[in-house]
Amino acid sequence: MTEEAILQGCLKNESAAQRELYNRYSPKMLAVCYRFAHNREDAEDMLQEGFIKVFSQMHTFQNKGAFEGWIRRIIVHTCINNLKKNKRFNESLDIVHAHGIQVREESVPSIVQAKQVVECIRLLPIGYRTVLNLYAIEGYSHREIADMLDIEESTSRSQYTRAKQMLEDILIKKKILPKPREKSEWLVAIR
Amino acid sequence: MKESNFYSDDFEQLIREKTEQYKMYPSEKVWKGVHGSLHTKRKWFIGSMALLVGGILFFAGRELIAPSAHPVLATKGLAASDSGAALSRLALPSATHRHPALAALHAPNNTTPAARHYNGSDDATGEDDSQSPKGITISLNHLVISQPDLSEFLSHAVALPDHAPALPVIAARIAVSSAAGTPDAVAARLTHSSSDSEQRGMTGETTDEMDGVNSQSVLESLSGRAAQARYNHQGRDLAHIKGGGPSLAKGRLVDSSSSASKASAAAIAESEDRARINWLHDYALYTLAVSQRQPRTYLQLTLSPTVNYRSLSGGDYGLSKFNGPNVLEHPGDVQRYVDHSPALGFQVGGSILYRVTRNLSIKGGLQFNFSRYMIKAYTTNDAQPAIITLSSYYGYVMDSLTSLTRMGNFGGRTQVSFSNDYYQLSAPIGFELRVLGNERLQFNIGATIQPSYLLNTNSYMLSSDYQNYLKAPRLFRRWNINGGVEAFMTYKLDGVRLQAGPEFRYQLLSTYNSQYPLTENLKGYGFKLGIVKELP
Repeated sequence: MTEEAILQGCLKNESAAQRELYNRYSPKMLAVCYRFAHNREDAEDMLQEGFIKVFSQMHTFQNKGAFEGWIRRIIVHTCINNLKKNKRFNESLDIVHAHGIQVREESVPSIVQAKQVVECIRLLPIGYRTVLNLYAIEGYSHREIADMLDIEESTSRSQYTRAKQMLEDILIKKKILPKPREKSEWLVAIR
Repeated sequence: MKESNFYSDDFEQLIREKTEQYKMYPSEKVWKGVHGSLHTKRKWFIGSMALLVGGILFFAGRELIAPSAHPVLATKGLAASDSGAALSRLALPSATHRHPALAALHAPNNTTPAARHYNGSDDATGEDDSQSPKGITISLNHLVISQPDLSEFLSHAVALPDHAPALPVIAARIAVSSAAGTPDAVAARLTHSSSDSEQRGMTGETTDEMDGVNSQSVLESLSGRAAQARYNHQGRDLAHIKGGGPSLAKGRLVDSSSSASKASAAAIAESEDRARINWLHDYALYTLAVSQRQPRTYLQLTLSPTVNYRSLSGGDYGLSKFNGPNVLEHPGDVQRYVDHSPALGFQVGGSILYRVTRNLSIKGGLQFNFSRYMIKAYTTNDAQPAIITLSSYYGYVMDSLTSLTRMGNFGGRTQVSFSNDYYQLSAPIGFELRVLGNERLQFNIGATIQPSYLLNTNSYMLSSDYQNYLKAPRLFRRWNINGGVEAFMTYKLDGVRLQAGPEFRYQLLSTYNSQYPLTENLKGYGFKLGIVKELP
């Protein structure tokens, strides 16, 4: 089925088209949810809620951008809304979690896999992780992140800086990234 | 959204690339949750149907286990108010002008004389009603009598005369009855009675042989004995005033009154009964609604949610008849090579029923059918050629139909589910037969034969090698014949009959014409919901 046919079918509330759309985008979107969520179950709950919104708001898609991007925005907003319901998440946005992350150092450098990077991101404190996800991966600006999370723009920037530093440390400890002097060589090697 | 220096940072770019590559596959329960939230109408439909069926079964069970009490004895409050109104309409304007039967209905013991008469007990016999409870009684504390019920009751309680009185006579009687309480009327009647008595006395007749009109007039004043006393007293006065032979008149009046006072209680009671019979006759003739003839034609509207599926057979390409190059791969039963499942549909229609006998009705009408079943298949990246090997009418000349399709039966890029939908217009002709039950609750069976026309379809059909699904509209049969059988309960409610019960519909000829080697017969299991109303 073409994307156009899927869209038309979804607008008519046809189960087959909805299933096709779900099959096509749910794996990527679950990975998005997983980066925000505490665990896989929470991620699946977010995915379910997000797809319900996607199908129920299908008529608002205006073909101005990529369909996947439109779905992704809905999913990300769903994740953020879910996180904001959690008190711990709101507190974590204002607390610096630069210490206390115990990362076991890998003895042998492993091949850089997508899953390893994702798992390293998930090692970050929830506040850092969210800002990093939104800024570095989803491409939102600090202004947009500040609006989404109800925080100051400066807070978003500082959170991101710390998150980035922490993630680099984790990746280096995991031998996914080289130590600073070898960094440029590794970056070339892993691409 | 993106900041201008996003890709300037190699680290961020690395993170982004790696996370984009990562995919996770959700469990099936996520899709079920999404699908369940999006298609809530189906839940409502199922819930409503369950409620409706449950309600029908509840009422049906209640009627079968504990049928309604005799209509005359029913004691529902609503009906009580109706009957009260009916009685108040029947009552005469003044309490003193009540009709004897109505007066009797308001007797303190709350039991009508007619009922007592029906029970075999009477005032004259002196038997206590409480000692003879069998038979029909009417409780006035919770009185519920509809007009048809009353007429039925009256027909049992009182044997009406063979001949109805002529209308002028009844009118005159009513007028007399209405005016009976006025002094002038009493005087006139007494004068007439006196002169009549004189004539009878002169001719040697006794007052015991007076015709029933006089005693009836007296009884219509609702107090036989009191009226009799008043009659004697006033008669004496009138005779005295008239003065024409006072002694003679007085003597005759005294004779007459003494004769009347000697009338036995049994004779008075008999006169009372006769008066009541007259009233009942008048009531039955001029007040009760004339029962209409049972209508014979009815309009029936039905809606049936159905679960549809199909029987698929044929296409055994191991046979020499279809030894084509692309058909040898999957010999045997075609059912083994497809993944089909039933799906929900519906049928809606209207019919005219004609009641041939009390239990048998024939019917004919129009019906729209939407039937479908689900197919699981796979989409492929590229369109593939699919071939249907066609057979001729004689079975040995072979032709083929080739089409490009992206729908694979055995494998492909993505699994998809789609439905084969059929829209048909049918003209069911058949019968309904009452098997069990009474006028209110019945169990019926029925059957129809349904010439059908295929209005539209979006159905896929299998290629000859079963590898692909493709569309070939020209291979569909437009005209077909369906058969239907049904069993349903009928419940009469406020002039309409509600019907509910299972039904089965089967398409007798294949969906495809004879050129297509496979045979498909649609079948539907439905639950019929119908409403039947008599036509004027």
